[in-house]
Amino acid sequence: MQSPWLSVLSFLVVSTLVGLGMIGAGRVLRVRARHDSPLKVRPYECGEEPTGPAWMQFHPRYYLVALVFVLFDVEAVFLLPWGVVQRELGPAGVGAALVFVAVLMLGWLYAVRKEALKWQ
Amino acid sequence: MNIALALSPLLVVALGALLLMLAEAFSPRQGGLALGAATVLFVGAAVAGGVWMYGIERLPEAASLAPWLLLDRFGLFFDMLLCLGGGLAALLAGGYLVEHGIERGEFYVLILFATLGAMILASSGDAVTLFLGLETMSLGAYAMTAFRRASPRAAEGALKYFLLGSFAAAILIYGFALLYGATGHTDLAGIGATAATARTPLLVVGAVLVIVGVAFKVSAVPFHAWTPDAYEGAPTPATTFMAVAVKAGAFALLLRVLLIALGDASWTSWAAGWPPVVATLAVLTMTVANLIAGRQESVKRMLAYSSIAHAGYALVGVTALMRDPTQAGASVLFYLLSYTVSTAGAFGALILCGSHGREAVSYEDLSGLGRRHPAAALAFSLFLLSLAGIPPTAGFFGKWFVFKAAIDGGLYWLAILGFVNSVIGAYYYLRVMVYMYMREPAAGAPVALPMRSGYVTAALLVSALFVLALGLVPTRAIEVAVRAATLGAG
Amino acid sequence: MIPVEHYVLLSSLLFVIGSVGFLVRRNVLVTLMSIEVMLNAANLALVAFNRSRLRHAVEQAAPGPSHTGQVFAFFVIAAEAAEVAVGLAIVLSLYRLRRTVRSDEADLLKN
Repeated sequence: MQSPWLSVLSFLVVSTLVGLGMIGAGRVLRVRARHDSPLKVRPYECGEEPTGPAWMQFHPRYYLVALVFVLFDVEAVFLLPWGVVQRELGPAGVGAALVFVAVLMLGWLYAVRKEALKWQ
Repeated sequence: MNIALALSPLLVVALGALLLMLAEAFSPRQGGLALGAATVLFVGAAVAGGVWMYGIERLPEAASLAPWLLLDRFGLFFDMLLCLGGGLAALLAGGYLVEHGIERGEFYVLILFATLGAMILASSGDAVTLFLGLETMSLGAYAMTAFRRASPRAAEGALKYFLLGSFAAAILIYGFALLYGATGHTDLAGIGATAATARTPLLVVGAVLVIVGVAFKVSAVPFHAWTPDAYEGAPTPATTFMAVAVKAGAFALLLRVLLIALGDASWTSWAAGWPPVVATLAVLTMTVANLIAGRQESVKRMLAYSSIAHAGYALVGVTALMRDPTQAGASVLFYLLSYTVSTAGAFGALILCGSHGREAVSYEDLSGLGRRHPAAALAFSLFLLSLAGIPPTAGFFGKWFVFKAAIDGGLYWLAILGFVNSVIGAYYYLRVMVYMYMREPAAGAPVALPMRSGYVTAALLVSALFVLALGLVPTRAIEVAVRAATLGAG
Repeated sequence: MIPVEHYVLLSSLLFVIGSVGFLVRRNVLVTLMSIEVMLNAANLALVAFNRSRLRHAVEQAAPGPSHTGQVFAFFVIAAEAAEVAVGLAIVLSLYRLRRTVRSDEADLLKN
């Protein structure tokens, strides 16, 4: 059977094997450092002296606001296609979109009430 | 208007969830939310029962939502089952969260939304709605698992659950994307119609990915790695919810996919279809889970492995779908019902045995319970007997029908393996009873005292009633299950 | 015109990268990104298949070309966003308690 999808399947298999093979080869062939010089693990070997860990903590408020933003941002993903075909859908389409936005607004009300948007 | 009637179980739970969410945010008092959530869910179950009695066939408008939502008896059965399981979990939470000082109203809202997701999942006939229901259900379950924010174990269990759960969802969705490419359909019936005629490599790869994704969700071995950790780390009512409602939802998904999308004779044949795959999963799931469960020292973790093993028994029934979809499907539905009430009861009894921030965890914690608190021990014993499959309890008939379906389908070896496994399984259930009735706590050991909570007592009474009723007169329930399972016959 | 097979090759490559990344990386944030890559592979496949089906339908003058694949991709994006919100919250709570984002250091729960 000469289906064009056969190549997709074989590609899937080959790419998995190559990926796993590279990881496996890296594990087998790696050179272990005889003595661990601290210089080896530095981001820069000369010049700028790194200070502090790269994992500096942001204020958790950023996450909260960003997450709420992302959730409501996705609203637009649905409203844009709705806007394109809105005339064809007629009143029923408007009603459906209103229900959609109303439910989301309840979520927004909840976020406001829980002070998720307040910057303390 | 008729369409609203057909949708009413979903609408009740959805509106109830939104109302409870606002009540939680705006009400100054926090009490009563458990009662509210349980009421919404039990009303949802009752409404689903009402639509069932009225006859969904008399509401032809319901078909206008197909394939997005298939409002059939199969969906109504799962609406009732999921609302029952979710309602029991909400009642248990009403006792547990207060007793252990982590009472926050979000938990009940999450239960409602997750149950709604599971109901959508069970009713959906299209990959789009199916995915939405699955995600709604899973996201609620992830959040509930992480609910004890001060506990590193809870965070760790939730992390593992979340990572593997979304990995599974990604695999499932990619599988459906490939099926869409192969058939041009995202609805299960359309996929089924094309899958019956032409079998391309793309189609096969897509089907395999979908089955793997669902196997993760029903926590079949070897895709079960997340289950014990998530179940142990989660607060026990959340564990109950995951063990009953999430699992039932995942089985609804599995049945719909296998019966509608891959229900053609060419796919259900032993030589070239999914039955050998599902049979292998069933055997692995039963055997591995039972062997590991016997080695556990924590009762909660033992119950987690036991819930994996029960998924294995249900998969025996799923394998039998290849011969007689109606009878085998009915056996799986009945099994899920008996498993739901027994498991909710067993976790409920475990919750009952702890109070004031101290939970009963190990077998030692339960020693002497039969003498100290006979009522709690009696309730626990009833549910353990049902899980072990000893008559006259629901679990006995659950196993009976599943194994009978396997035998009628000519799968004798599978039925025998299932029977051997349920004998192995009886060991660790009875071990709990040995500790409760024949051991005394070591002198000076801290002993957890049972809690007093009307909510937990109510949940245990409801479960016990179901366990006994299904164990003594299963005929009515099996008739209902047969009517619910007829979707595959068409 | 690029044939649909090329898109599917790309999407399967993305899917494999994502799943291998999920299985071998130990940093939870990278694991999360791998899941995103996998979901986006599915999105790409859905949109590409939809496009080729549409073109096919127009060429054959077949009735009822549909956009299901594209709509599906929208829903996947929405669910993805919600998933990330919950996932990051869980990672944050783990970080607060254990000061780590490595999944192999989360080893409290064992048999």
